Amino acid sequence: MQKRLIIRNDISELGAMNRFVETAGEELGLSNAFVMSLNLVLEEAVSNIIFYAYDDRKGEDEIRISLRRDDDTLTVSLVDAGKPFDPTQKEDPDISLSAEDRPIGGLGIYLVKQIMDEVSYERKDHRNYLCMKKQITA
Amino acid sequence: MEVKITDGDITIITISGRLDTNSSPEFEKVIEPVISGSVSNLALDCNALQYISSSGLRLFLMLQKNISQKKGALVLRGLSPEIKEIFNITGFSAIFTIE
Repeated sequence: MQKRLIIRNDISELGAMNRFVETAGEELGLSNAFVMSLNLVLEEAVSNIIFYAYDDRKGEDEIRISLRRDDDTLTVSLVDAGKPFDPTQKEDPDISLSAEDRPIGGLGIYLVKQIMDEVSYERKDHRNYLCMKKQITA
Repeated sequence: MEVKITDGDITIITISGRLDTNSSPEFEKVIEPVISGSVSNLALDCNALQYISSSGLRLFLMLQKNISQKKGALVLRGLSPEIKEIFNITGFSAIFTIE
């Protein structure tokens, strides 16, 4: 089963995306706990696209979101036509540092990579394709 | 998201709802007087906090850095199991005092 949503590249759209994840999560038979994690994954990944792939063109374009469940595998796909932006290249933060030494920020994509099993990026036809997979138990 | 600040021997910031990309700027504005003022004993009451994303986490870290600089103490109260898990993933469990 596949669920799709198209939003504008504006953070005011994140509320609509959250509601989509809640409804689609239920229809795809995902647990409440995982739907919350999925909400976080999508908020982090999509807000990064809006801030970095579209830092010069706010609200004029669209981001396509798809959630697909095949048996126990959930595949989350994001497609946008912003500037080339590969979040998988971002270096992981050093989470062993003290509060004084920790830089503020840089946690979003790290959370995505920790929650999902696989995160891959591709640039083709002037678009960014981000694909994230997770084995689910419920 | 709603925030309430109660002054006393310990200043208590009570936060409820969702602390996400959209609501974090409002939270940052509300806690600004705490950051720029002399408050050094602070508790964050998170009993009604339902959700936090990286934009909220960075503000928690900012508060912790600020209170550490003032040689004070910050405690987090009432984190839900889901939010505790996010603190574990990001290493925040080790840098905050969680009651």
